[in-house]
Amino acid sequence: MTQPAVTTVQDTAPAGPRDVLLQRRAERAVRVEPRGRREHTARERAEMLLDAGTFVEMTPMRSSGGAGSGVVAGWGLVEGRPVVVASHDAAVASGAIGPVLAEGVMKAQRLAIERGYPIVYVNDSGGARIHDGIFALHGCGGIFKLNVEAQQVVPQISVIVGPCAGAAAYSPALTDWTIMVREQGHMFLTGPEIVRAATGEDATAEAIGGADMHAIESGVAHLAVDSEAEALDAARRLLSFLPSHKGGAQNVQEARPTDEVAAQALPHLVPEKSSIVFDMHKLLDGVLDAGDRLELMPDHGRSMLTVLGRLDGRPVGVVANQPAARGGILDAISAVKAARFVEFCSRFGLPVVTFVDVPGFLPGTVEERRGVITHGAKMLKAYAEATSPVLTVVVRKAYGGAYIAMGASSLGADASWAWASSEIAVMGPGGAVALLHRRALQAAEDPAELRDRLAAEYRENVARPYLAAEAGIVDDVILPEETRSTMVETLRMLTHEAGHRG
Amino acid sequence: MAEVRAEIVGNVWKLLVAQGDAVSAGDTLAVLESMKMEIPVHAPVTGVVGEVPVAEGQIVQEGDVVVVIEGSSTDA
Repeated sequence: MTQPAVTTVQDTAPAGPRDVLLQRRAERAVRVEPRGRREHTARERAEMLLDAGTFVEMTPMRSSGGAGSGVVAGWGLVEGRPVVVASHDAAVASGAIGPVLAEGVMKAQRLAIERGYPIVYVNDSGGARIHDGIFALHGCGGIFKLNVEAQQVVPQISVIVGPCAGAAAYSPALTDWTIMVREQGHMFLTGPEIVRAATGEDATAEAIGGADMHAIESGVAHLAVDSEAEALDAARRLLSFLPSHKGGAQNVQEARPTDEVAAQALPHLVPEKSSIVFDMHKLLDGVLDAGDRLELMPDHGRSMLTVLGRLDGRPVGVVANQPAARGGILDAISAVKAARFVEFCSRFGLPVVTFVDVPGFLPGTVEERRGVITHGAKMLKAYAEATSPVLTVVVRKAYGGAYIAMGASSLGADASWAWASSEIAVMGPGGAVALLHRRALQAAEDPAELRDRLAAEYRENVARPYLAAEAGIVDDVILPEETRSTMVETLRMLTHEAGHRG
Repeated sequence: MAEVRAEIVGNVWKLLVAQGDAVSAGDTLAVLESMKMEIPVHAPVTGVVGEVPVAEGQIVQEGDVVVVIEGSSTDA
C-alpha cells in the first residue's frame, strides 16, 4: 500500500489524530503469512485484478476483535469499466468466515447487484469460523443467498488462490466461472485429515480438491492456471467478453478480419470421409475474428468446445463439437458443459454460435447409468430457452438426437445453415442401410458391395442438406468460405439497434 | 513409463506399433473404431513401445491401457 507523503506541522508533538489514522492504515496492509505458494496480500490481489490505481476499499476499518474483517472488499475499474471485488484476507484467522467477514462480502455483493457491476470473489478461506458457531453459518448462508440473487443480474467470477473448504466452497459453485491456481487453490467439503477420520480414505489435498482434478474431472473449476497473476489476468480477460450486467451493452470492439491463412484453409479443412477426425479449433480460426479468444473448460468434456470469441467485433459464445477428442461425441459430461455455457451466454445476451459435426450421443450402459437422458435434456432446454441470438452451422455430420441438441432450428435457432458436403439424418448411412435393407443384404451375393452402394445412395438422396433447405429446416446450404460473411450479415441483422423492442 | 489409455469405449481397429518400436510424441500408435469414427491414439511422449496389452479387434473401455511407452521423458 502506498503511503501519502506526511507533512507534520510540529515534529515534536505527540501522535495526533493524523498519525493515529496513518498508523492504523499501515497496519491494515499486513502480509499474508507465507503458507504454500501464496505470493500476495488480499489487497494486492484486488489491485492486480483492477486497472492500476483504481481500487477503492469499502469500510476499511471494519474489524472483528481488532484483527480486521478478514476480507478486503471494494471496487475499481477493469479496462475502464466498474467491477466489484471481495478478496479474502488470509492474514486474519486464515480467512475463516465469521459474521464480520460475511458482512463485508455481502456489502460488496449488494453494491454489485444494485449498481449492475460484475463481481469477482478472490477466495482464500479455511471455511466457516468454528468459534463463531451458528453466526458463521448464518453469514455463509447470507453470501449464498446473494450469490443466487446476483446470478440474474451480474456476471460473477471466483478465483481460488488458497484453501476454499467447507461452506466456503459453495459460494464459487453458485457463481458463473471458477478459476483455480494449481497447487495453491483447493476446493473441497473437507480436507485430507477429516476425510481420513470420516471414512478412512487416504488422499492428498490435490487429489481431493486440486485445480487439475476440478478442471479435468469434476468440472467444478473452469480454468486451471499456474499463478495468482495468471488467475487474475484470466478473470480480466473473461470480463472483457461480458456486459456489466444482464441487459447491459455488449462490449463490442472494432472488428478484426479472420486469420487469413486459416480462412484460406477452411474449404479443405474438413475431411470428406466422415470417419476421419479434424481439429475444430482450426475451423474457428477460419471463421471468427483473429486473436482474442478464451476457451472455458478446455480439459473437461473435451469432445465439446465452449469458447468466448468475437465475430464482427461482437463477443460471442461458441459451442462446437471437437472431432479431435473422443470423435466429437456427445455424452452426459459434454452435454452439461454445453448446456451451462449456452444458459450463461443467453443470460448475458451473448449470441450463441454453434458448429456441428457430431456422430451422436455415445450409447451404452456407462452413459445411461450416468443419466445421459437427463443431462442431454439440459442441453435441449438451454437452447430452447435461449433469448440471445442463436446461429448454427452444420459443417459435416449431424445425426439423430445430437443434431437437435446442437442448436437446431426446431429448438429456436434464429438462423441455421449447412455446408454443401454435410449430412443431416436420423442416423448415419451405415446404420440406416443395415436397418432399412436387412433382408436384401442377407440375400445378396456380395453384401459388402450392396451395402456400400446403398449407403452412397442414402448419403446422396436422404442425408444431403438440400432436403433440409427445401423444407426450410436450415436457412441455406453454404460453402465453407461463405460462412463468416453469412454469419456476420445475420448477426448484424439480429443485433441491430433499430430492431430492439420494448 | 507412460500408459496410453483409450479415451472412449470402442474396438481396436488398427495397431500401428509393436513392442520395441521407437515412437515420438504425437505419433499415432493405434486407431480405435467407435461411433463410426476412426479415433487415433497418440503417443503423449517420446520413447520405446513396451507392453501392448490389446490386440486388433478387441473391445476396450474408456481408460483401458492400449500401449505402454517406456524410456520416456516422464521416467525421471
